[in-house]
Amino acid sequence: MRLERVKDFFIFFASIGLFLALWEAYYWIFVKNPFILSPPSKVLVTFVQLVIGDPKFAETGFSMPLDMLYSLYHYLYGFSIAILIGFSLGLIAGWSKKVEKFLYPVIELIRPIPPIAWIPIAILLLKLTHTAAAFIIFIGAVFPILLNTMYGVSSVEKKYVEAAMTLGATKTAILLKKVIIPASMPAFFNGLRVGSGVAWMCVVAAELFGVSQYGLGYKIQLARLYHSPDVVISYMLAIGIIGLILDRLYRGTENRLLKWRRGFVVE
Amino acid sequence: MSEILQIKDVRKWFNSEGKKLLVLDGISFDVRAGEFIGIVGPSGCGKTTLLRIIAGLEKQDEGEVLLRGKPIKGPGQDRAMVFQDYALFPWRNVIGNILFGLEIRNIPKKEALEKANRFIKLVGLEGFERSYPHELSGGMRQRVALARALVCEPEILLMDEPLSALDAQTRNVMQSELVRIWSETKKTIIYVTHNIEEAVYMADRIVVLSKRPAKLLDLAEVKMERPRDRFSKEFIDLRAKIFRLIQS
Ligand SMILES: Nc1ncnc2c1ncn2[C@@H]1O[C@H](COP(=O)(O)OP(=O)(O)O)[C@@H](O)[C@H]1O
Ligand SMILES: [Mg+2]
Repeated sequence: MRLERVKDFFIFFASIGLFLALWEAYYWIFVKNPFILSPPSKVLVTFVQLVIGDPKFAETGFSMPLDMLYSLYHYLYGFSIAILIGFSLGLIAGWSKKVEKFLYPVIELIRPIPPIAWIPIAILLLKLTHTAAAFIIFIGAVFPILLNTMYGVSSVEKKYVEAAMTLGATKTAILLKKVIIPASMPAFFNGLRVGSGVAWMCVVAAELFGVSQYGLGYKIQLARLYHSPDVVISYMLAIGIIGLILDRLYRGTENRLLKWRRGFVVE
Repeated sequence: MSEILQIKDVRKWFNSEGKKLLVLDGISFDVRAGEFIGIVGPSGCGKTTLLRIIAGLEKQDEGEVLLRGKPIKGPGQDRAMVFQDYALFPWRNVIGNILFGLEIRNIPKKEALEKANRFIKLVGLEGFERSYPHELSGGMRQRVALARALVCEPEILLMDEPLSALDAQTRNVMQSELVRIWSETKKTIIYVTHNIEEAVYMADRIVVLSKRPAKLLDLAEVKMERPRDRFSKEFIDLRAKIFRLIQS
């Protein structure tokens, strides 16, 4: 058991180490131009300087903590609205076939449009504002949440509803609260996780267009104009790390809240 | 005693592969308040269907089912049902499942917990309060299902083979417990089983159904004093009589 873990640890670092070594070598052999690419050794230094707010970057407005804050703000703004609307509509559409039929054409029409394609209309309609960014994020996240919730609700086994009714729960509101919602939580969480991933991608895409003076996506674009690939890659790294943390956060919550599911797969 | 439930010439069809399948063929009997009714019949004859009609989960196609003189419109708090396949809520642990009906009835939390714990003890599940259904054996799940319905203390308890997954030993103990609960609370119990001995041991009267389409073969009165002796001549004779009736 212990040995296994040591081995896994070793493989983990060997994998990353090899990747960085190849990248470093590629730079020094083929590129050797700090204005179009940076080696990992340089990126690491820049990353740390950006995080601690080194004046060298702070003077030009590159403050990683502040940029993260703005990006998280955009994410939460758009994502919370997506949860609210995706969950409510999913619940209603999953419960009522009529509503589902009514919503279906619109959903199927809008869903295949990539969220990024909405950026121009969002900017025209909402100008370069936080709300425009939130709108793009909303568009990206709402469909996974809506469709998964809908699926979860419509596939709640009839026997649970019947059992609840024979135990006295005959009102629709109580059935929703005590049976339909808890039973469809696994599907909802699935949608939440997928939706969050899309939302985070949309944050970057929306910010690229300069909806605000801060934000990870905006700074990536700005750093390109300054020909600072080390800054670009540092910001890419930050985006990846936050995306990973968000995903872990949802997985952790899911495992804690839905521990009743454990063993279903094994059975 | 007054009639709490009247079943009058009930017929029920199901659609099966495009054909109409007659399941209940003119069933009639009355249930008096406080009575323990057993329903026996071969499997697939329509026992569950009959119970579901009384529960309000299914509607008969012909005939009438009257609860205190009024037609049944749907499920209600005056009836609780134990399902043949338990139908425990997988997202609730044992105590959570048992608390369900009490939450619906807005029983104060403390009182509800006390009550739930009493029934957990009754069905012998102490120590498993926090376990989830998927962590329990079939017999234990069945006991949770039983406690979950009993704790609601409805006027009419509908039970669909509630002890079928238990071993013979536990089943006998639970049968005696059910009879005790029934005689203490004076609830009406309608108890479906394919185990004739079980019905003879517990019931006041036994509804004997034929194989599908179910017709009422007999409404056998069980006159023996409780607790009944499973090895008495009277017991064995009645059991044999019902057995032959169903076989014929
Ligand atoms: N919803 C349904 N749709 C079609 N056929 C059904 C349905 N429910 C029960 N049946 C059929 O009705 C018959 C009686 O079923 P059931 O009442 O469950 O019998 P029992 O409980 O006596 O074993 C069976 O043949 C079963 O297949
Ligand atoms: Mg049955």
